[in-house]
Amino acid sequence: MDQNKQNNDDMQGMYTAWTKFMTDFWKDFGKTGAGTPFSNSDDKSSAKFSGGIFEKTQKTMESNARLFQAMASMFTKPENLSMFFQTTETLPEFMLNVAQQSWETCIESGRRWSDRASAMGQTDAYNFDDLDHETFENIRQLYEREVQKYLNIPQLGLTRGYQEKINRLIDKQTLFSTTLQEFMYLFFVPIEKSHGIMQEKIEQMVEDGEIHDDYKQYYSMWIKILEGHYMALLQSPEYTKVMNKTIKSLTEYKKAKEEILTDVLQQLPVPTNHDMDELYKDLYLLKKKVMDLSEKIKG
Amino acid sequence: MSQPKIAVDLILKKLSEETEKLKSHTRKASEVLLNPLNSELAQTPYEIVYEEDRVKLKYYRPKKITHKRPLLMVYALINRETMLDLQPGRSVVQNLMDDGVEIYMVDWGYPTRKDRYVTIDDHVNGYIDRMVNLIRERSGIEKINLMGICMGGAFSVMYSSLHPEKIKNLITTVTPTNFDTDKGLLHIWMKSSGAESLLDVHGNMPGDVMNLGFLLLNPARLMIDKYVGFFENMDKKQFVENFIRMEKWIFDSPDIPGATFKQFIEDCYKKNLLIQSKLELDGKRVDLKKITMPLLNIYGKYDHLVPPEACELLTKNVGSDDTEDMCLDTGHIGIYVSSKYQKEFAPKISSWLKKRESDSKKKTVQKKTASKKSVENKTKKQKIEFAKSKSATAPGTHSGRQKKATKGAKIASGRKQ
Repeated sequence: MDQNKQNNDDMQGMYTAWTKFMTDFWKDFGKTGAGTPFSNSDDKSSAKFSGGIFEKTQKTMESNARLFQAMASMFTKPENLSMFFQTTETLPEFMLNVAQQSWETCIESGRRWSDRASAMGQTDAYNFDDLDHETFENIRQLYEREVQKYLNIPQLGLTRGYQEKINRLIDKQTLFSTTLQEFMYLFFVPIEKSHGIMQEKIEQMVEDGEIHDDYKQYYSMWIKILEGHYMALLQSPEYTKVMNKTIKSLTEYKKAKEEILTDVLQQLPVPTNHDMDELYKDLYLLKKKVMDLSEKIKG
Repeated sequence: MSQPKIAVDLILKKLSEETEKLKSHTRKASEVLLNPLNSELAQTPYEIVYEEDRVKLKYYRPKKITHKRPLLMVYALINRETMLDLQPGRSVVQNLMDDGVEIYMVDWGYPTRKDRYVTIDDHVNGYIDRMVNLIRERSGIEKINLMGICMGGAFSVMYSSLHPEKIKNLITTVTPTNFDTDKGLLHIWMKSSGAESLLDVHGNMPGDVMNLGFLLLNPARLMIDKYVGFFENMDKKQFVENFIRMEKWIFDSPDIPGATFKQFIEDCYKKNLLIQSKLELDGKRVDLKKITMPLLNIYGKYDHLVPPEACELLTKNVGSDDTEDMCLDTGHIGIYVSSKYQKEFAPKISSWLKKRESDSKKKTVQKKTASKKSVENKTKKQKIEFAKSKSATAPGTHSGRQKKATKGAKIASGRKQ
């Protein structure tokens, strides 16, 4: 405790000395201008620049020096100084907190994944109720909690629209790849399950001494089991859910990509899809109208 | 020392034999693949008689025309109509032509982004109607025969309801009309899918996405087993040619116009409006009761895309009493391309049409006789009317017996599930 206090006092002392030095420097710097050739009002060049750029610059420098001096004096007041040091003390604490939270989430997710991985071989054949969506949900949640919010920070200035589109593309691409991984995982599950069953069957056959010398029989057995697993998977509501999620995220990603491409194309003499769609619609409606009218005339 | 349960020596011997076989197989396969192959599709000659936007109308003229009315074939917007003329010896078109049927076939072409606003109404009351009018003009008859395939069948049903005065006989093949079923993955997926959202970025439904969806209906067979079969048989030239031909057809997938796809998913798959006679095309209601012409409805027992449950309700909901369901022991494509159904499918259609042609001749004769006798004797006319009403119990006309016959045909063809 005493050690901390001692450290704080040292820091405050150093800071006070530094601000004093800077204040004096800017004060002197402001005055130095008066000694320069440009400051001599009798000088010809000075006359030339009188009321000109150098005089203005000197004034600005003096003003800045005064402003810095005022600010520095304010900071060196004991109550402000201690508040500044409190803030600087909380910053690493804040950073540590954020890092700790992220790290804890990572560790927690890692633990869950390893639990899931060890439970993988325990799934039942032809049953897809115990599919592990949680792993992918965790990745998604981790991304949404730790990364997505930074991409959603409102952008400022002239290029804000473009920057937001780029951020959106990164966001949608990440979400799509996560969903695609889940979709691919679903397609791997029947293969894994079929291998498990085949292994059991072969073991049983070995025990019974019924090993075939025709590899085609094993293949036929395996493909039949695999087909059965796929049929069970593809009819499950879980599959439909993941499929729809994948389609949705793909659409969002493609939309985000097209937005950026449209911006690029607008700088080139190339019509965008949006431009062409408007044109196609007009053409479609016009053709329909012409067709109706010509039929009326014929009739 | 105990005898081992597994004869390892036999397995090793077999393995060595297999390795030898594989060597010879690979040598022959490379000879087949490196030499010219004939994998052309749609080789039957035709003439283009109509063109509008991307759409074309093909005309196939048989050597001898024995049918009075031409047949217009409307294919689906998914994949291409070349499947109906896959190769010599496996061609619905060729088989019908051999029976003397004049064929007109719609080629929907390849929709581009420009076609994204084209609706079902534009297809049915636009393109199809203009092509029907052209055929009527060319052949000088009021009513033509119409045959639809899959989604094209649904379009044909819509057309026949809205323009019954132009259609003499309607044939629907693997045509989905009832979408309220959980049989078939497509029905399950389409009901809850957000696939329409892809239209916002693509304009149309990309053919590649559709194809991926079809492959995912049975990944084990369509993405693995099929190609294992190919590797096993790639030393046989004819097998390779047929396989490549089929691959060409399967992956030749035009995009589907956005507005049409959206309407088909929402009104048919999600709301099931067609079979309930509630579907509207540009404000015109598709009333199935207005389908009063003879109807032949053919579908596949093992169709995983359009299962029997999606097809069989049509005949019960139309206004016509001359209907027939025919369920074949095959799948969605097998109806058209399997060797077995080459001898059954097209001959059935041409004989069914021929029968309705002769029925209509009989009716015309009966009508003429009736009017002549009415001048002579009013009492006799009443008798003739009575006779006419009795003759209505014959096939091709209205009766409960016909419905029973339809049911019988269904059972006979193995649809009793």
